[in-house]
Amino acid sequence: MGSHLRRVFNRISGFVSPWRRNQAPHGRRIFHREVQQEEFQYPSNSCLSSYYSVFVARLAIMVMLAILIGLLTILTWHFTRIYTTKSINSLAYGLRYELLQRPILRMWNILNSTVEITTAQVKLSEYVIKRYSKPTTQAQQVELYEVMRDVTWALFASRKALNAITINYRNGFVQAFHRDHRSNNTFYIFSDLVNYSISGSYNSNTLSSHQGWNDQSIHSNISAIWYHVPLDPVSGERIGKPKAIPPDDQINIAGLSQVPDGVASWHVAVSKYTDSPLLSAALPVWDPSNQSIVAVVGVTTALYSVGQLMKELVEVHSGHIYLTSQEGYLLATSTNAPLLTNSSTGPKLMLAIDSEDRVIRLGAEWLQRTYGYKFPPSHVVHVENAKLGHEHYYIDSFFLNLKRLPMVGVIIIPRKYIMGKVEERALKTLIILISASLCILVIGCVCILILTNGVSKEMKLRAELISHLDARRRAEASSNYKSQFLANMSHELRTPMAAVIGLLDILICDDCLTNEQYATVTQIRKCSTALLRLLNNILDISKVESGKLVLEDAEFDLGRELEGLVDMFSVQCINHNVETVLDLSDDMPKLVRGDSARVVQIFANLISNSIKFTTSGHIILRGWCENSNAYGNSGKFPLNQKASRSALKAKFKQHRNHAKRACKKNNKMTLWFEVDDTGCGIDPSKWESVFESFEQADPSTTRTHGGTGLGLCIVRTLVNKMGGEIKVVKKNSPGTIMQLYLLLNTPIEGAGQHCQLEFGEHSLVVLLALSGSMGRLIMSQWLRKNGVFTWEASEWNELTQILGQLFRARSSVPNGGLVMQCLPSEPLKTEAPNIQDTRASVFVIIVDIGLLDWSTDIWREQLNFLDKYHGKARFAWILNHDTSNFIKMELRRKGHLLMVNKPLYKSKVVHILEAVIKGRDLEMQGRILNGLKSTRIEGNLHESLEIDSTHFEEVPSSDDSDRSEMGSHKSINAYHIAEKQKDRIRKPCPSQYQTANSCLVEFTQVYSTENNLRTEDPHQIRPNSHDAGNEGHKLMCNKSTSPLTEAECENCRGQEQHLISTCPKEHGNSYSGKTVNGQKSLEGLRILLAEDTPVLQRVATIMLEKMGATVIAVGDGLQAVDALKCMPGAEESRGKCLLQDGRTRCQTQIHDSLPYDLILMDCQMPKMDGYEATKTIRKSEEGTSLHIPIVALTAHAMSSDEAKCLEVGMDAYLTKPIDYRLMVSTILSLTKRMA
Amino acid sequence: MDGVVQLQRQLLDYTTQLFQEGFLNDQFTQLQQLQDETNPDFVVEVVSLFFEDSERLLNELANTLDQQSIDFRKVDSHVHQLKGSSSSIGAQRVQNVCIAFRNFCDAQNTEGCLKCLQQVKNEYALVKNKLETLFQLEQQILAAGGSIPM
Repeated sequence: MGSHLRRVFNRISGFVSPWRRNQAPHGRRIFHREVQQEEFQYPSNSCLSSYYSVFVARLAIMVMLAILIGLLTILTWHFTRIYTTKSINSLAYGLRYELLQRPILRMWNILNSTVEITTAQVKLSEYVIKRYSKPTTQAQQVELYEVMRDVTWALFASRKALNAITINYRNGFVQAFHRDHRSNNTFYIFSDLVNYSISGSYNSNTLSSHQGWNDQSIHSNISAIWYHVPLDPVSGERIGKPKAIPPDDQINIAGLSQVPDGVASWHVAVSKYTDSPLLSAALPVWDPSNQSIVAVVGVTTALYSVGQLMKELVEVHSGHIYLTSQEGYLLATSTNAPLLTNSSTGPKLMLAIDSEDRVIRLGAEWLQRTYGYKFPPSHVVHVENAKLGHEHYYIDSFFLNLKRLPMVGVIIIPRKYIMGKVEERALKTLIILISASLCILVIGCVCILILTNGVSKEMKLRAELISHLDARRRAEASSNYKSQFLANMSHELRTPMAAVIGLLDILICDDCLTNEQYATVTQIRKCSTALLRLLNNILDISKVESGKLVLEDAEFDLGRELEGLVDMFSVQCINHNVETVLDLSDDMPKLVRGDSARVVQIFANLISNSIKFTTSGHIILRGWCENSNAYGNSGKFPLNQKASRSALKAKFKQHRNHAKRACKKNNKMTLWFEVDDTGCGIDPSKWESVFESFEQADPSTTRTHGGTGLGLCIVRTLVNKMGGEIKVVKKNSPGTIMQLYLLLNTPIEGAGQHCQLEFGEHSLVVLLALSGSMGRLIMSQWLRKNGVFTWEASEWNELTQILGQLFRARSSVPNGGLVMQCLPSEPLKTEAPNIQDTRASVFVIIVDIGLLDWSTDIWREQLNFLDKYHGKARFAWILNHDTSNFIKMELRRKGHLLMVNKPLYKSKVVHILEAVIKGRDLEMQGRILNGLKSTRIEGNLHESLEIDSTHFEEVPSSDDSDRSEMGSHKSINAYHIAEKQKDRIRKPCPSQYQTANSCLVEFTQVYSTENNLRTEDPHQIRPNSHDAGNEGHKLMCNKSTSPLTEAECENCRGQEQHLISTCPKEHGNSYSGKTVNGQKSLEGLRILLAEDTPVLQRVATIMLEKMGATVIAVGDGLQAVDALKCMPGAEESRGKCLLQDGRTRCQTQIHDSLPYDLILMDCQMPKMDGYEATKTIRKSEEGTSLHIPIVALTAHAMSSDEAKCLEVGMDAYLTKPIDYRLMVSTILSLTKRMA
Repeated sequence: MDGVVQLQRQLLDYTTQLFQEGFLNDQFTQLQQLQDETNPDFVVEVVSLFFEDSERLLNELANTLDQQSIDFRKVDSHVHQLKGSSSSIGAQRVQNVCIAFRNFCDAQNTEGCLKCLQQVKNEYALVKNKLETLFQLEQQILAAGGSIPM
């Protein structure tokens, strides 16, 4: 467990660390589960792995999204930027080229114009000098100079850009015009003529003497005085006095030195007075002979304008342009930075890298650094992204290859100017793109999280669902185990309870108990019975729940079962002032197939439930059959059914149709029942829930009525198992109606077998004097339907009134005592028997004994009153359960032989009426026939009634306690029989003992089940007449048997002893009989025969009986055990008692504590085989001194079987077929030993 | 009276023949001895009980053996019962076949069981016929006013 836990946590922490958020709940959940139950480990593990996969998926999706968005961003940015940059770059290149081209062009122009001017000056000078060649005089010379001065001025004035024009003659005379651009003054500079010799300068005009005319001559004239005259810039008029200045002070005068080879020369010069470099061109002036140079013309142009132009050009974009010579000296820049350096030797040109302008200096340095002196051949450089300082610049340089003056132009433009906006835009775009993509990424991630969260939530839910399902399955399984356990426990629980009850019974029999002890033990017995019943209920439920309940499929008489049930419950109701009525329609099939015990259980539960909640009124159990023809024939339905049935019609139509179909298929019948009571009713909201386990309509009722609430649940389960349904239906009057239907099979031959009653032809008239109104009503309706005329009376006075009216009217008719006339004025009659031929009418008066007044002796008078009609009508008495024997005796003495117990239902009435009809027939023939005949008839009657009693014994009941209750309904029949047998007793009978005994048998049934036995006064029995004495004695005898089943009053125990004392006498008699007759070697022995094969049973019975033994045969081991267990009462009439023969009664009455002398046990039997039965019997004998001999009967002829028989506790062993003599000897040896 | 004597002789012959052919054995004699004036129809009663029981058992046997999965325990118990009842009335040949039947049953031999069932049915039909004839003879004798010779 611990290691599991750790592993799980390791896995989580190893994997989910980036998702701490998720980790916590997982861990917690897992921990919970771990703590809760180990079995949830597995689901949680699988859960975790699914969480991991979710995380991985989540991560993957996020990464993919990020990549996608990044790519998109980069691509977008790239394309926008690259193409823009490219196009702008090409544009910028054009611009730069253009920018640089213009100053170069200007430069070129300047050069050109300088050259033109120079050339023009030279040509003019040549012309002038030709005219004045060979000046001989000073005057000519002066004139020449004057002309020259004018010509030169004209040229100088025409060109504003010129800085200066100088003419240096051979003789050293200098003429020059100079324009100072800064001060905008124009000067004329000339040298003093005095110092120059004309001759001297013109003599040496040979080429060879060219040397002689050099600068030295000029410089040698250093002492010459130059004058400086300011001029009007426009007119050229002298406006000031000539001032003497030192030579070459203001301007450079181009001399011969500058034209050494007689061709034009260029150079860049600097001047003291200008801060920009000057472009000087010099050209020699040849003499006409073209052999010598007479003068040198120099033209100086300031490059200032180029700088101006460049300034203008770059102004807009704050770039820089500069021109340098090939050596790197600055010629012009676009800035105002000085181009010259002032050294000690005067101003000099400065190198570009020394420029004061930072950008130019940096650019030059950069170029030098990058290329050094190895410029590309054309000096063309295009650099787009040079970093100067902190800024990026475009640097482009062009090479201008002029003859003698090659120049390099460099343009430096800040990148910002051209690309600045673009790059800014690009940056902005990039930022926007990145931020947008980041936003998308974040949103996407959130979306993914949400989505996957949903998925993972679903997975979590699913995992939880799985675990819940698992848990539920386990719970169901465990509950199923519980049910199975309970079902299996049923036997284990019941056995000790049965033992407890049995031992209590024995204890109750014990006569040494004091009164208090006796009361306590009785109480214990009651409690045990209640406990057993409760156990049975719970076990039934569990049995059903565990699916172990299997319904039997056996034929049984439904009517009789229900009658028995009503009999049983009417005993309970008697204290409640509740009337129990059974109302079954005539079309109910007599025999149905099904589980009779369960059917009875259903109704027992329902009725007991009704009784519990009904304090006064009635409980009606209605039953009717529904098949296709009965449906249309409403007349066949019992009373009160029509209304409810019509209401039901719609409700159950579907069921009905379904049922009908089923009916046709396999002969199934839908039997409808309802239990109608007048109790407190059930709230409609509880109509469904009352059928749940442990549910009661009103929880408070538990206190007043008790109960577990299991009854109705069992009922519903059983009904459903039988293919039916149960529900509570609406009732107008107070109370409850539980309605149910069952689908039961009917035997094919018995399907249409209804008891067809033909009372009509007997013209019976029945006076129902019953206290219970509901029962009376139903009964009279039924009788009328069957052609019997009825009157009803509910109390004594009414009865006497009707009787009076009836018989008065009848006696007034003279012909015959039995003729009755109709009295239309009769208020109670609804259907007056308006027939003339009522001669044969038989009057039957059914009187409830409760109508008599028992408070004083009035009842005797009432009986006497009724006696008057004794001859005219037959009386049938409805007895209460507590009707004392004395009263019965009294009634019997007065000749009222028909007595039945409450409640009255159809079969009892049928019996009464049949008895009456037979009695009448008998009466008719009686005068002729002898007594024997009459006994035969009574015997028949007896027989028919006895079948009844045997039937009731067959009522299978789930447990012993129930059985003892169920036994109660035997009583009625017993009374019947008792009456009959009373006659027989009186009659001289050869085997009086046996007859008496049989009588006794019947009475045992009566007493064994009566709770009210105590009310019976034994003293009333004892002082009976001698005639009845015998009977009374037997009754006492009987009582000794009853204590085992029911609580017995103490005074009964007195008789018990008496009984014991009488027993040996009888025993002795039987033995004496045996000695007389050798054939009857088994005389007096009571043998229980357990044998399932009817043939063998019959054979063995006859064999034993022939030898004088009394045989009680049972069909299986279970019955045998039961017969031993509840010896009293119940066993005599038990099934196979074979009572057909009136004479050979089962005289099983008990003389001593053992009911039987011997058991013959077949080994192979259904339900419980012989071995099991023997074991059970032996077990029950444990702890007592009893040992009943058991002889095995088996067809197994092997010795192993014999060993097995002896092993389980049998005493002897007989093989089939039974050997007559061997059997006798075995039995005798065993019984003698016991004796 | 001659008729009666003749019938009585016929009955005796027939009974002897039954015993000789092995249809019946001593058990039947014992059964007859059990019959007296208190149980005048004892033999007939028992034998008819036997007929009813046997027919029921044979039906159930046929049903059980007709099933897909044969419950041999059930078959065995039925055969056992049949054996018990037949031996009780002394129907020896039925009893013998039953013994063979049970052996097959123990071996769970379906074919053998079916064969035996057929045999048992045959034997049962035979013995039923014979016994019915016997009872008819007896009835005739009784009707003619004679007594059953033993």
